[in-house]
Amino acid sequence: MTSTLIQNYILSPKQTVNQNLQPNQVIIKNPEKPKPNFDIQKELDNRTFIKPLEGKGRLLSGNIFNAPAIMFKDMVYDAKALKHAIKGEANDHELGKLNDFGLFLGGLAIASYLFTRKQTPMTKGMEFVGLASFLGAMSIWPKIAIQLPAYLIHGVNVQKQYEDSFGRKKPFYQDPQFLPWDLYSDKEIDKMGDRLGVPRDITNRREFIQEKMKKIGIQNNTLWMLTAGFATPIMSGLICNLVEPHLNKYLDNRTNKAADKILTNLDNYSQKYKNNALEQELTKLLDANQNKPLTKELEESITSVMTRYMDAVTAESFKKDLKEAAFGKPTYKIEDKNVKEILSNLNEVFKKVPGADEEFLKAVVPDEKGLISALQENGTFGKNIESVDFSTVTDAVKNLVVKNAKAYNESHPDKQKDIRYIRKLIMNNMGEESHSNPVRIVLAKATSKVLDSNIIGKLKKVVKFIDNFNMKQFALDEYALKKVGAAPETVIANYWNDVSKDLMHTLGFTSEEIIKTRSDRSLMGQVLREKIEYVVSDKDRYRKVMEKLVKKIAEINSKIKTSDLSTPLLNKTSSNSAYDNIVDSLFDSFANNLRKPDIGFERTARAISGVDKNDIVGTAKQLQKSYVRDRLLGVKSSFYRIINTMDFYRRIASDANSIPALKGKYIELQEELIELCKRITLDGHSSDYATKFYMMRNPEPTMEYGNVEVKNGKVVNKYFGKTQELTDIPGDKYFYQDAMRLMYEGDMHSETMAALKESSIKDEVIRYRDLVLEKLGGEKYFAKPRHLIRAENKTGSDIKFLLTGIAPDELIFKTGQQLYNSKKWLKIFGGFGAALLGVTVLAQFFIGKMKAPERTGKK
Amino acid sequence: MILPVNNIKHNINFSAGSNEKEKKSFNSDYDHDTLLPSTTLTNIRIGMDKLTNAFTLYPAKGLKGSKNANFYEFLTMGTVPYIIGSLGLMAVFNFANKFFSPFDKVQASKIGQKMALGVVLYGVFKSLSKQLISRPVNMLTGVDTDQPYAKVNYELPDHINDTDITSIEYHKVFESVEFPRWDLLYGDETKGEKRNFRYDKIAKKLNMGDNLNDSDQETKPRIKEIIVKSNLAKSISSYLWAATGVALAFQQPWEEYFKVMTFKFWKPKEFLKSLKIFGRSFVNSAKNLYKGDGRGIAKHAGKILLGVAALSSIFGVINTVAGVKKSPKSNSKVINPNEKHVVS
Repeated sequence: MTSTLIQNYILSPKQTVNQNLQPNQVIIKNPEKPKPNFDIQKELDNRTFIKPLEGKGRLLSGNIFNAPAIMFKDMVYDAKALKHAIKGEANDHELGKLNDFGLFLGGLAIASYLFTRKQTPMTKGMEFVGLASFLGAMSIWPKIAIQLPAYLIHGVNVQKQYEDSFGRKKPFYQDPQFLPWDLYSDKEIDKMGDRLGVPRDITNRREFIQEKMKKIGIQNNTLWMLTAGFATPIMSGLICNLVEPHLNKYLDNRTNKAADKILTNLDNYSQKYKNNALEQELTKLLDANQNKPLTKELEESITSVMTRYMDAVTAESFKKDLKEAAFGKPTYKIEDKNVKEILSNLNEVFKKVPGADEEFLKAVVPDEKGLISALQENGTFGKNIESVDFSTVTDAVKNLVVKNAKAYNESHPDKQKDIRYIRKLIMNNMGEESHSNPVRIVLAKATSKVLDSNIIGKLKKVVKFIDNFNMKQFALDEYALKKVGAAPETVIANYWNDVSKDLMHTLGFTSEEIIKTRSDRSLMGQVLREKIEYVVSDKDRYRKVMEKLVKKIAEINSKIKTSDLSTPLLNKTSSNSAYDNIVDSLFDSFANNLRKPDIGFERTARAISGVDKNDIVGTAKQLQKSYVRDRLLGVKSSFYRIINTMDFYRRIASDANSIPALKGKYIELQEELIELCKRITLDGHSSDYATKFYMMRNPEPTMEYGNVEVKNGKVVNKYFGKTQELTDIPGDKYFYQDAMRLMYEGDMHSETMAALKESSIKDEVIRYRDLVLEKLGGEKYFAKPRHLIRAENKTGSDIKFLLTGIAPDELIFKTGQQLYNSKKWLKIFGGFGAALLGVTVLAQFFIGKMKAPERTGKK
Repeated sequence: MILPVNNIKHNINFSAGSNEKEKKSFNSDYDHDTLLPSTTLTNIRIGMDKLTNAFTLYPAKGLKGSKNANFYEFLTMGTVPYIIGSLGLMAVFNFANKFFSPFDKVQASKIGQKMALGVVLYGVFKSLSKQLISRPVNMLTGVDTDQPYAKVNYELPDHINDTDITSIEYHKVFESVEFPRWDLLYGDETKGEKRNFRYDKIAKKLNMGDNLNDSDQETKPRIKEIIVKSNLAKSISSYLWAATGVALAFQQPWEEYFKVMTFKFWKPKEFLKSLKIFGRSFVNSAKNLYKGDGRGIAKHAGKILLGVAALSSIFGVINTVAGVKKSPKSNSKVINPNEKHVVS
């Protein structure tokens, strides 16, 4: 530790204690004789007397180059402070530092806890970004809003730090009652005085400058305290807003790469899921029940373990296979205890007979011996029987009971009982699953089949196959989820958000337009139509927008390569994607294992991979593939639809009259067609396609042939919209066919093709248009059976839904709302933050005002 | 010790002193540094006084660049960003929500309300958790680490007619570990108090024995150790408890409370219902935090956080108390004549 003043005095050379002094040794020292003519005032003036140590304090100056070193030094200091505090030896400065450490630790605890609560990498990451931004804002605000303006305006660094003689770092202006001015040289103070505009010809210039600097320091410290509360949360929020897109991009790349690694390295990656959980659990269950009766409950427990991760269809098949191929046909054995139980049940059941009393029950319920001998007679007692033999047992019981009941009726003419009712009580619920038949309920439990080593051996083999299959399937599921899962922050979700936002920007939506139309989809749709019509009205503008759009949309094929994951409907290639190949191999191999003669789980094998390659409907393998295909198809269709929409608008804008679907028609009909198609391409849902479009039209159009007039991308309607009496014309199949042709048939515009030329999505977009014609155009609607443009097909509604994708106006509407939310927040808090910064900076001009002493006129 | 100049006792007055109202009001305050009772009421009074000054008097002095502005005022003003920052955080997560579409508003408000509650519980837990250290330490050692006192400051007059040259500051006796106000702990013999009665009490609690000749000198090193260690424990544990408060606020059961939340106390029926559901949500949220949900670390995160916070308080107290409660013979602070000692 650095010596203190008094220590220096004690240890000064003349008075240093002899450290080798023996405890009892007395040293007598003659006091020095006073110097002749000793003058205390002279000595003090000459500073030859006891004087304080040279101060070791120094002003600190940090810059970007020594920042890491300073940071490291501070960390070491904090670590030492912690050590001292634990021992109870810390000083005030060190304890102050530990409060900052506590603040950081608490923040870290909050971020870590919330990290565990969040589901996605982005939201998890933002918890730590939030902490860092908050701590950062606390430290940045005084630097940019206080220190920098004060320095630029006054030339005074109000956040100046110094290190005292004990190596403790402190803000220079922290305590206005104790400012270590001695750390500033006269030259430095003078220079600052000049910068502060302090006249040179005043008395005690240094003191005046110091007073002025002190005043500036106090005022700025106060300003800091008054503004930091407003500034820190806002700055923190703004920093988060700035960081979020970059973090999102980074995490998106990371997720995508991680997903790619799963597919290329599935065998290794799937080891992550290798825990043989089912095998362990099943083994435990089987071992505990070895050679014990294979009861229904035990069967259910075994089934429950083995089907835990199966889909419902596969599990149902598996249950049946287990029963037939593993457990075998159940056998039952009737013994004395079962007979007793049957008799007890009969006693209970016959109490329901009207007027039943003890005497009746005694008379009608067979005695134990009688029943046993009856069962012995029909060969069911003490032998293994099957469930089909249950009726033999119930018949024997019934015969005895009926015989007894008849005898009772004969002996009790006044208490006649209904024999048919008594018979019904025994014979009802004939099924094996009966839970109320007094005989069958006992028989069902009298199982004689045991869980023997054969069954156990087979089950253990099967569960190994299941564990191995699950391990890889989980890895594949993880891959599918990361790439195309219906969850936030998957590769496809990030792509969707990215393209949607970019689309708004590319089409030139302004903040005002978003604000005005954000709460009404149709209003937003109208603005979108205006934007598209504006874009398509000019060749260059269209080219630029289309190139940008195609480039952005085509990113999907670099994020999710068609060689990895494909949409067979859109990709004509005959070769399977890597994902499909892996799924085929995995599922087929699992199915083949289950098909092996010693296993014989044929039903399950069929449920998993079908009878052969062509049998794909409803198999687990097909489900695994179709989930990713459908997700991908839905997203691609949505964006390809936008390209097609833009193309259609451009074809109308550039040369509507050369389009075959419009040729040779009345002008009014052409106008109706174009209007319908413009609407359908923007807001049509799959139901609109399914019902073959609905439009209020003029049933008696003006019979004038000619060209439609198009101006600035819009049709100048000559007739459309001018007729009052409009109606839908459901029988006009040609109108439907022409509309479909107009939207999807024929070549795309040359400028669109130019933009698509080098793109990876070119073929897919062309194929998309064909598919719409084929699948949607070949869809039969019972109310308009001839409204077809392609041969009728039996495509499922899921594919039609996916091909339609999201309507562009809906996409823009949703994206617009998200953008509005972000912009609104930014406007409120960004505006407030900017105003606060402005006021804080402006305040500097009112700071440090002091009346200078009278000037002497001497420099 | 150098005592502060006392202008009352010595009848020093910079003005005519004829203003009776002024005189009365001054006399009602403290005329010298005074030990205050360490009660909740006193702490509330001190807190309110400091809070009022932090938002009014001290900023006014600071903005003027008063020559009397000092470090205490600067530190007290630290409450301003703390409170405004808390309100700011609540606003950041809630204010813009009302402009969103209904669905977005509901979703954003769910998080925003939890954030706002998190800010409140952060402050409450941080503040209350310090008692988990200071109370047991006081009970086990007799050292009240939160003992307040009123400090009378004599300022420079702003102008010739400035008679109000005193200011009262509220400090804690053990605020500084290097310069604790030992003097305030001595008894007033004129009132019949034993000079060292407070130190005697501490010495007894620390197992140093009764009737020590110089209990003050014996206990001071140990008290210092207690202050340092308890300060460390407070610094660490209070922030961990604050984090627990935030975690508590993020539990799902609070959503029930948010639906009926009202501060309109003039509508007693609704207000009481709101309070009742607050209590229920608090209990359920605490259970939720402890039980956790999900899998792996997510399920146990709440337990871990609670455990760490609780352990920080427990270990904090143990570390504070364990080392100092020993017999005087084992006191290593006894001066060894063969060693070099320095008075600092």
